[in-house]
Amino acid sequence: MANKSVWRDNRFWQRSAGWVTGVAAVLLMWLTFDTIPQITMGTDADLEKGVTKRVPGPTVINYKITYEMDKKRHHEIPVIGGANAEGTSSFQEKEKFFGRDDWTEEEAAEMLHLGKLGSQTKNCMNCHTILGNGAYYAPDLTKAWLDPAWGPEGSMQAMTGKDTKEEAMAEFLQFPSQYPTHARMMPNLGITAEEAKGLVTFLKHMSSIDTNGFPRNFGKIQGAVHGK
Amino acid sequence: MVGGILMTQDIHVDDFLTIFVSSTLVLVFGGFYVGIYTAVKVKLLKKWAMSISYLFWMLCAYCMYLMGSLMHVNDFTVKALVVAAIGLFLLPHAVYYMQDRVHEENEH
Amino acid sequence: MANSYLTSESKRLATWYFTFAAIIFGAQLLFGLVAATQYVMPSFLFEVVDFSVARMIHINALIVWMVFAMFGSVYWLLPDETGIETVGIGLGKLLFWAFAAAIVVVVLVYLFIQVGPADETSIWFIHEGREYIEAPRWADFAIVVVVLGFISNLYLTGMKGNRSGIVTVLMADMIAFAGIYLAGMFFTDNVSVDQFWWWWVIHLWVEATWEVFVGSLAAYGLITMIGAHRKVVEMWLWIEVAMLFGSGILGMGHHYFWIGTPEYWWEIGALFSALEPLPLVAMFIHVLYDWGKMQGEEDAKGKEHSVITNKPAFTWFILNAFGNFLGAGIWGFFHTLPQVNLYTHGTQFTSAHGHLAFFGAYATILIGMMYLGVQGKNGIKVMNHTKSSIWATCMIFGGVLGMTMALTVAGYADFIISRAQWGATWEGYFAGQGGIWYAQGMGWRLIMGVITFTGFLFLVKDLLSTGKAANHVR
Repeated sequence: MANKSVWRDNRFWQRSAGWVTGVAAVLLMWLTFDTIPQITMGTDADLEKGVTKRVPGPTVINYKITYEMDKKRHHEIPVIGGANAEGTSSFQEKEKFFGRDDWTEEEAAEMLHLGKLGSQTKNCMNCHTILGNGAYYAPDLTKAWLDPAWGPEGSMQAMTGKDTKEEAMAEFLQFPSQYPTHARMMPNLGITAEEAKGLVTFLKHMSSIDTNGFPRNFGKIQGAVHGK
Repeated sequence: MVGGILMTQDIHVDDFLTIFVSSTLVLVFGGFYVGIYTAVKVKLLKKWAMSISYLFWMLCAYCMYLMGSLMHVNDFTVKALVVAAIGLFLLPHAVYYMQDRVHEENEH
Repeated sequence: MANSYLTSESKRLATWYFTFAAIIFGAQLLFGLVAATQYVMPSFLFEVVDFSVARMIHINALIVWMVFAMFGSVYWLLPDETGIETVGIGLGKLLFWAFAAAIVVVVLVYLFIQVGPADETSIWFIHEGREYIEAPRWADFAIVVVVLGFISNLYLTGMKGNRSGIVTVLMADMIAFAGIYLAGMFFTDNVSVDQFWWWWVIHLWVEATWEVFVGSLAAYGLITMIGAHRKVVEMWLWIEVAMLFGSGILGMGHHYFWIGTPEYWWEIGALFSALEPLPLVAMFIHVLYDWGKMQGEEDAKGKEHSVITNKPAFTWFILNAFGNFLGAGIWGFFHTLPQVNLYTHGTQFTSAHGHLAFFGAYATILIGMMYLGVQGKNGIKVMNHTKSSIWATCMIFGGVLGMTMALTVAGYADFIISRAQWGATWEGYFAGQGGIWYAQGMGWRLIMGVITFTGFLFLVKDLLSTGKAANHVR
């Protein structure tokens, strides 16, 4: 009988499994401690001082948001309040949201809270994707706020008879089956006017999150369908 | 390399199919490599088939290279893919070595 | 139960769990069919049972039946592994009824109340609207209580009886399984933080703790069904644990590419995702290797018969090893690297991968455990296939594979138009959905779904009747 080698010893493998798992778990926790502060929501003061946050504070709804290619990072980033010389957020240009561009931190936070609650209780994620996660029965909502369909050139403002993006979105959310855009329609989910406002806040806020360039080329390519 | 650039250019639309097929083949060929290796070791196949198993590993590595280059992957991902390829190469050797020893111990 | 050969209360309780799991499995498939029909015919049950509701039940039933079958599997194998009757079996039975009742209430609320106003009450009593873990908050707490009871039974039995390697792995695995659930039990306004912790639950379940659980079941199955040497199998189990947790825990990175988390997750996700298929390959060859080895030993003795004591169960165990490699391995790998995932994230590709991975990695082996239950309950020494079991196996496996293929084709058509060409806008999305390949894929998916469901009916028929069949060795 051969000598017992360490490679054939169950206790060796048991300990190895323990160590590998332990190291992986500790690394994950360490990375979590690094990541969580980076994705913690910013504040109104950050926006005022021009501090770029991966997840800006709720008052980002007072600013104009666009999605531009970043030359250094080679992918698109949300640009808040217009671009500066480097092509990143300058936090200068404001934009009216439901008629105001001076929502206080409390008001904005409250609307976002309502919107986030609504996004869960109305089960958005089981048809749409949010940050790319969810179901695939309806369009991704990550940058829905920036979607050309809702912009001045798009069809949705005319269809809902509203003059602004946010009002068109809120109208659609309340009465989705009155505005069919496709054979696959959004059902009526009993969304109230207040909830709709919250949900649009949630969408505008989400579009300001730095998602490392996802989705790629959003709204930049039009009419290039040759695979259909 | 942490926090670097993911890719310097878009993947060409016509390249996607090649990427998916080659990344599927990575694991299919990898599976053949491991399967034939095992079959030879348990004497289901003759010795000469071993060279075929190594051929499959090479095909697997090539597909990984093809996939990586069409994706314009960054340096770090290249390293990750090389580690995975070497891991796959060593895997059946390690499996067979240990499995065989333990069986021997139990049977004698 | 009448005519039961089971002497162990633990095994009897296991059959309860298996039975309830099979019922919920049926519900999962049924609501899957509703959702699949809606892809082809959007007006089907519109504003009655909307896609969101059907899908929520589809994926929640999936999780629940698997958890039930997993608990059943543990109660089934504990007496064999520890050599004693499970401790706290009365509590186990009580928790079974509590759990089952809670699930029924949750599903009825999903089905009949569907959505609530945007407030905390809805989160507490209707659903949380977070994919896979939609269960309302009250049910979260109920689940925690049930799982704690289950774990205490497992621990008390493991500590009192003979603690085999398999039981040790299960003890460590189930505590992690339960602990991780807590990461999904809070509300936050920050959607990035929300999804960060949400993935702790989903990813660390299905790509780490559940996989290790499956490894333990496979080890148990190899020992009981083909008489594999415990020492070899358990050594392998430890290696599997090391490989699965070693790659799986940090494989979490591939979910943190685009949810607002920093770029370094690209590298971590790429590296560990590339390694994730390795344990699946290893698991696959290990099962085949052990089978060949044991059959070889038997053949060498000049005996003609097979070493397998439960053919239907073993078939499902083999399909597990294969399906895990195929679904989690191949279908996972081809869209996991960030460069490609940037385009494929959140398209039908994910759904193709999800179907085959959940089925291949978990449904298969749990169905195998149900067959072990039927065998034990009917006192069968060598259980053979029946016509129904063969039909069930072929139709379910073929059906799911077919759905996956169809979804992959649809996924390709979907992403190449909506993502690579149009950049994921509303218009691009519907351009992708309108493609002819996409529509064809969805049609085939529905057909394959019907085949899967028919296979399920054969499975139920077989599980109920095979115990009385004459072709087994008793």
